Amino acid sequence: MTSRRLLSEAKLWLVAIPVLVWTLVPIYHIFLFSISTKDSAFSGRLWPEHPTLRNFGTVFRQEHFYLHHFWNQIWNSLWIAVAVGALTMAIATCAAFAISRLKVRGGRTVMNAALFTYFIPAAFLAVPMYKAMGNYGLLNSRWSLVLAMVTIASPYAIWVLKQASDKLPWELDEAARIDGATPLQLFRLVYLPLMVPSLVAIFTYALLLAWNEYLYAFLLLSHENTIPLAVGLGHFLASDDSPWEILMATALIYGLPPAAIYYAFRRYMVGGLTSGAVKS
Amino acid sequence: MATVSFREVVKDFGKTRVLHGISLDIADGEFVVLVGPSGCGKSTLLRMLAGLEDISGGSIAIDGRVVNEVDSKDRDIAMVFQSYALYPHMTVRENMGFSLRLRDEKRSLIDERVARAARILNLEPYLERHPRQLSGGQRQRVAMGRAIVRDPKVFLFDEPLSNLDAKLRVAMRSEIKALHLRLRTTTVYVTHDQIEAMTMADRIAVMNEGRIEQLGEPLELYDHPANLFVAQFIGSPAMNIFDGMVRAGAVEALGSRWPASRGAEGQKVKYGIRPEHLEPAPSGIAAQVVVVEPMGAETEILVKVGDASLTVMTRGRSTAGPGDRIFLAPQAAHVHLFDAASGQRI
Repeated sequence: MTSRRLLSEAKLWLVAIPVLVWTLVPIYHIFLFSISTKDSAFSGRLWPEHPTLRNFGTVFRQEHFYLHHFWNQIWNSLWIAVAVGALTMAIATCAAFAISRLKVRGGRTVMNAALFTYFIPAAFLAVPMYKAMGNYGLLNSRWSLVLAMVTIASPYAIWVLKQASDKLPWELDEAARIDGATPLQLFRLVYLPLMVPSLVAIFTYALLLAWNEYLYAFLLLSHENTIPLAVGLGHFLASDDSPWEILMATALIYGLPPAAIYYAFRRYMVGGLTSGAVKS
Repeated sequence: MATVSFREVVKDFGKTRVLHGISLDIADGEFVVLVGPSGCGKSTLLRMLAGLEDISGGSIAIDGRVVNEVDSKDRDIAMVFQSYALYPHMTVRENMGFSLRLRDEKRSLIDERVARAARILNLEPYLERHPRQLSGGQRQRVAMGRAIVRDPKVFLFDEPLSNLDAKLRVAMRSEIKALHLRLRTTTVYVTHDQIEAMTMADRIAVMNEGRIEQLGEPLELYDHPANLFVAQFIGSPAMNIFDGMVRAGAVEALGSRWPASRGAEGQKVKYGIRPEHLEPAPSGIAAQVVVVEPMGAETEILVKVGDASLTVMTRGRSTAGPGDRIFLAPQAAHVHLFDAASGQRI
């Protein structure tokens, strides 16, 4: 290795290490709290004197006042996240196909208009959204949050998928048309299989966005049985003397599914499926 | 098997007219090559025949049926693209059978047709592979296989060999030609390579700036180019062309008298003679050798006559070296004269 490469490598490490510490310290902190007893949680040690898994037992058995609906709420979180992921993916895929491959007139305008909505902060839209959901009679239904999150996730998803579809060789569409494919067959048999990596990426994006959402969930859902776990966690902070060790144990559990999903789909986050289609 | 006919076909991209009324009749089973420099409209014409571009004016008919408003898939054509355009997520077998699958053909028929095409193209060992696992030549063959399987009325080739290396290109050229001789399917083939055109075509249409400059059999184009453009485009090395004036039954040019039997007295002409018709001789037009390129069977000599550079092609070896003075004897029977103003053959 030459000294020059060594230097550039060193620079990378210089950036990477602080970023890594910055990311891991809070997670370690959560972990530390979750294995501490109530008394030792604030002791300031790097490792508790008597580490315990009791907090997790408390959570799973719903033994705390704030956790009486734990399983219900985590199910809500999951349900909402998967629904948002699936709906966003379906809408964005169809839109991207129409705009990028069928070249529908005005398609680009629609996409840009959708992207333009990002100029308005989500918090601004919270009240109108609340009003709209009220009008539809959807308040306190999980669907209200699903629809709101799909609205928020779709423009970005459409844009990303449109960029990805633009990279598919145009000759494939022409070959398929000559081979006798209708637009629907082109979509199903050629477009979708080639877009799988992007679709998975977008599904994951929307799913995590919904999983992590707090503001809209807090606003649109208020019943103990319909709120997702994010809002449930927020309730912990309602009292002066919050049970931090249980809050953190719950938070750790809450953080695991996204990590698992990301890990499972990491292979799709890199492309390469289209290699061999055309000479590059 | 079918005829193809273009009638006054016009194509506009916005306000730019790229094809100016092309008329061309292709006989059943014929192999016609559209050749021309890039931007001459040859690919556009092919894509209009394929139904991938709208027709701005005129009509295109396949087997007597006007197809202007007919969808690509209903024209019964198959096309081989320059970039192969194979479906990357399908195996070779699935790629080749795709069109039949879309037509809801029986599984057994698809298998049989794919097997037959694979046998013709020597693709049998690769049927279960994906395109990314194939070499360039194999991919090109799969693209052809996809076309064969359909048993279409017309084959369309859009610069199919441009992405291959020189050696493979020559091999595939013969394969395509052999395939045509075997299947006898009407074929329209687009290329910018005049050697491809010469070697493969039954007839060549030389295109330039949205017009057909000349249509004819390869050697007819070579021996009797209708105008300067065709004369310069067909043949490698290119024809020698220089300015001259007809005087007393010959052409005065570059300070010498060149044999010619046509042209009116005093007419300004472009004098054209192919390198192989301009041989070194004991006496004749004096020239100075600049470069000698021996190629074994023949030798290419670059010479200067007056201030013009000419190419001379001589069979066998040459003893001349750079700086030597030699004499050239143009073969009068193979002289091409073009009107200097219009560029048309005299």
